[in-house]
Amino acid sequence: MAAKNHGQWLAEPGLKPNEWVDSRIYSDPGIFEEELEKIFKKAWIPICHESELAKPYDFRTTTIAREPIIVCRGPDNEVRAFLNVCPHRGMIIERRPSGSFLEGQPSGNPKRMTCMFHAWQYDLRGNCVYISREKEGYQERLRKEDVGLRRLRCEVKFGGFVWVTLDDNPQVSLEDWAGPAFTCLRKTLEAEPLEVFHYHKAIVNANYKLWHDTNCEFYHDFMHYHNRVTGFNDAYFARKNEAFEHGHIVVGTFEVKYENYEGFQSRAALSFPYLPPNQWYMIDMFPGMNFNLRGSALRCDVVTPLAPDRVMIEFRGLGLKRDTAEERQTRVNHHNSIWGPFGRNLHEDLLGVQGQGTTMLPGSEPRRILHGRHENQTIHDENGMRHYYQEWGRWMNRQPNNPDLPYAEPMSVAAE
Amino acid sequence: MDAAALVRDTIYRSTILLDRQDWNEWLAHCDNGFQYAIRAFSPEINKDVTYLALDREGLASLVKLLPKHNTDHSPLTRHTSVYTVDVDEQAHSAKAVSSVIVYQTLLDGINSHIDAGESRLFLVGKYLDAFKIENNKAKFVSREVRIENRRLDKGSHWPI
Ligand code: FES
Ligand SMILES: [Fe+2]
Repeated sequence: MAAKNHGQWLAEPGLKPNEWVDSRIYSDPGIFEEELEKIFKKAWIPICHESELAKPYDFRTTTIAREPIIVCRGPDNEVRAFLNVCPHRGMIIERRPSGSFLEGQPSGNPKRMTCMFHAWQYDLRGNCVYISREKEGYQERLRKEDVGLRRLRCEVKFGGFVWVTLDDNPQVSLEDWAGPAFTCLRKTLEAEPLEVFHYHKAIVNANYKLWHDTNCEFYHDFMHYHNRVTGFNDAYFARKNEAFEHGHIVVGTFEVKYENYEGFQSRAALSFPYLPPNQWYMIDMFPGMNFNLRGSALRCDVVTPLAPDRVMIEFRGLGLKRDTAEERQTRVNHHNSIWGPFGRNLHEDLLGVQGQGTTMLPGSEPRRILHGRHENQTIHDENGMRHYYQEWGRWMNRQPNNPDLPYAEPMSVAAE
Repeated sequence: MDAAALVRDTIYRSTILLDRQDWNEWLAHCDNGFQYAIRAFSPEINKDVTYLALDREGLASLVKLLPKHNTDHSPLTRHTSVYTVDVDEQAHSAKAVSSVIVYQTLLDGINSHIDAGESRLFLVGKYLDAFKIENNKAKFVSREVRIENRRLDKGSHWPI
């Protein structure tokens, strides 16, 4: 059909209401703030991998929904998470991205988390163990036993990722929330310890959900020359796009033909445990995490929404802890040639979401973003995004295709 | 030219070739055994990270396939200063350390109407180069682009 005038452009497409979303969910500042409260302050987030705090007293810092968080490994080897906020006057306690509390700090002692501001000290269980001039200032009115860090729920799971939630009473346990989606890779990821070998981050001017959508839909493989030549065969088009409870999806595997891309080779020799050669699995977790295993290297993306039109994405690459130096280098190259900041696909993916972000600035005219492909729940079906937005609607109590209305389950849910 | 001058000359000419995206001309300055890598130290995971590593053949394939890929065409401008050149006369080899700053002049990466023409700092780092000196020429044996950045945003398809 020909190009549209404004009225025609705004008319409803011939799709069911759950087959598109309103672009305001990607740009509206009010919806964004509500997402931080209703979703990010409630969800489980894999903030890092246990190998990033390998030894007792190692720590790692992050944020969820603007709240600073610290995770540390205690002398008892337990990984614990706390708000990285001093209960005295609100200083961020640890400013570095990672390190070890075995070193003393200018304001404090080794084996303590010390707030540099007025030198209050905490042990690795979050107890306040020292208040400078405690008695002189507080007499008996406030003692170190009365203060302490805000403890957060934290579990190490699904291949050694450190999962944290700001919600003290999550509605579902981490196991029940994520376990079913991880079934396809659980044996592989838990066969032996994994280790992080790659980290970088991107900040792009686009809504966080646009990044997650890109991870959930493979129709955009048309944008990736690499994926077209190494995929696009019958086995590729038969890959299942499977929805799991709580908004997660899994894209099933097939055998990638790496040698079809000039300069690339089969990755069979370094397959993760229990995997046939050159497999490719993808697990997309609500609200914005992704575990992507191309046979020999695992990638994990975590989004940190910064504004309606701004997201930080952290990218990690992981191999097997026991890798020899040579194996590790090959794995690193497998990972980075496609997924590194100078790799063939990641740059294209980021250009894609940046391009969407450019058309969906706060205040831009609301548009319909189509999620209406049906291909028998295989790779180019858009059921993954439809499934995600049902979950989003439930958490937000908003209709994804008309966010001014309260959420109602679509009639077609049973058919999906 | 003495060996150190040859090395400096090769580094500076390569900077111009890379800025011009004259990839094959640049590769002509690289030995057959050339090894290229972009690396950084990440205090986040407390490790050295390799962001790209290729041999000469791998680089040749990479640049050959660039037209097949969607890419951010915003040109990169490298500012290189050679800091040290250490020549081993006996071995006919040299090592050089240069500072490199890469600016990106935005073209089509975000919204060209608004930001095309703006130059931004893209990368900060060093070139750690090794050379073979032969027939009055300095040829790259290896180049490690050692960058400080770990926040790389959209990244790039191009050798730095
Ligand atoms: S703010 Fe932390 S000791 Fe005062
Ligand atoms: Fe992609």
